[in-house]
Amino acid sequence: MLTSIALELRRTARDTAFLIFGVALPVVMYLLFTNIGGGDGDGTGHDTSTMIGMAAYGALGAALANGTGVAEDRGRGWLRQLRITPLTPLQVVGARAVTGSLVVLPSIVAVLGAGFLVNGVRMPLLRALALVAVLWLGTLPFTLLGLGNGYRLSAQSTGMVNTAASMGLSIIGGLWFPLSAFPHWFGEVASWTPTNRFAQLGWDVAEGALPAVGAVAVLAGWFAVFGGYAASAYRKSTHTR
Amino acid sequence: MVELAGVAKHYGAVRAVRGIDLTIRRGESIALLGRNGAGKSTSIGILLGLLPPSEGRVRLFGGSPEAAVRSGRLGAMLQEGALITRVTVRELVAFVAGTYPRPLPVAETLELAGLTELAGRRADRLSGGQAQRLRFALAMAGGPELVVLDEPTAALDVEARREFWSAMRSYAARGNTVLFSTHYLEEADENADRIVVIDKGRKVADGTGEEIKRVVGGNVVAFDLGDRSSEGLELLPGVTSVEIRRGRAYLRSADSDATVLALAGRGDVRNLEVRVSRLEDAFVALTRAAREDREEAVV
Repeated sequence: MLTSIALELRRTARDTAFLIFGVALPVVMYLLFTNIGGGDGDGTGHDTSTMIGMAAYGALGAALANGTGVAEDRGRGWLRQLRITPLTPLQVVGARAVTGSLVVLPSIVAVLGAGFLVNGVRMPLLRALALVAVLWLGTLPFTLLGLGNGYRLSAQSTGMVNTAASMGLSIIGGLWFPLSAFPHWFGEVASWTPTNRFAQLGWDVAEGALPAVGAVAVLAGWFAVFGGYAASAYRKSTHTR
Repeated sequence: MVELAGVAKHYGAVRAVRGIDLTIRRGESIALLGRNGAGKSTSIGILLGLLPPSEGRVRLFGGSPEAAVRSGRLGAMLQEGALITRVTVRELVAFVAGTYPRPLPVAETLELAGLTELAGRRADRLSGGQAQRLRFALAMAGGPELVVLDEPTAALDVEARREFWSAMRSYAARGNTVLFSTHYLEEADENADRIVVIDKGRKVADGTGEEIKRVVGGNVVAFDLGDRSSEGLELLPGVTSVEIRRGRAYLRSADSDATVLALAGRGDVRNLEVRVSRLEDAFVALTRAAREDREEAVV
């Protein structure tokens, strides 16, 4: 299983689209949003909250893109090929899940790095590490959503669904623009989205607080929903091919 | 080491495989020969444990196909299946080898498959023949006791096909058991010790290439019939069967010399041609005989 993970990580690192859209784009958007649209890039609260929003957006995209990779491999018959190796189905899915949870790290680290180095965001080291940790753990539901799409849909539709999901969830979750910029009812809806609660983990920790119980509960709910979706999608895929 | 007993597979009303018995001994090279849609791929899918049989029993190394796969005694090259992106030839071979308990050394697999020069190339940037050899390399990378290849040379040109079979024969020569399917008769004849002919989901013949040719026997004598009657041709010396196609008669003969002399006596020598029976002819005759048997059985 470790060799499967190593193989998948190596493939991801060679994926130009992943490096551009998963890592570079969130950094560029972050720097644009904080330095052009009114912000002054001097390490203010806006710089920090946007930093977390964009790190979450990048991580979300990377987690879902892992699922697009699954759909592509499936379409090429690779998963069928793996079924005639001694690898168990659980090892194959497990390796993909672990990969999916690891490939989000570059996006998180890159955006946070831009925040600290370019925009002068400052916080205690331990808090910064805690921030990386919660953002990392918080992507698990999205990794499962990506896997579910990857096992359920064709490669083409997975790509489109995942792109739409990452942009849509980012906007209604308030990752791109603060929810205060939207009507009140929008915030009500947003508080039930996995993306908003995911970013909230980061916003809470950045302020030196523990993640809110509500945020953890909503995310745990989505974790269960997406986990069930991924499991059923995987089972269906083995029945067909 | 491989045993199929009465294996059948139905998809609703469609009966893809209608009861196949097959035993494969260690070290044999076996060709599964049949047209498209004869049931070869379905049989292979069942043998590999990818498809559950509707009826019958499959035993590999005395256990289930799944157990054989898990223990690393089986390697296979499926008919469909492209290679994944963003990995090199060597990485892919090493990865698959790493999933088996007793793999071949990677360099050895690459050498056998004729891929040593291409080891650093991206797997999705290979030519058709190279990609097919890589897929073969993946089937043998784990050092399995049995390798199953489903139509390994479909869509390859002559040169690529020749290179592929040379790689396959060097693997078989090491004492490995190989089962491959093909609809190219020459391939079956040249690369297998034994040929199993499958038609419409049934086994219609099982033997060496020589045996299969002998079943049909002899040469084919052909000539233009024009407007003359074909009556009595089947009574000429040596003739075992007569076929008329577009004004031309094709006589299968156990003694073509006697047949030709008799034809000359009748004056039937327009565009006369005698050719050695090819496996192709044997195949056509065998599958037709199998169909006629069944039709008679129904009547």
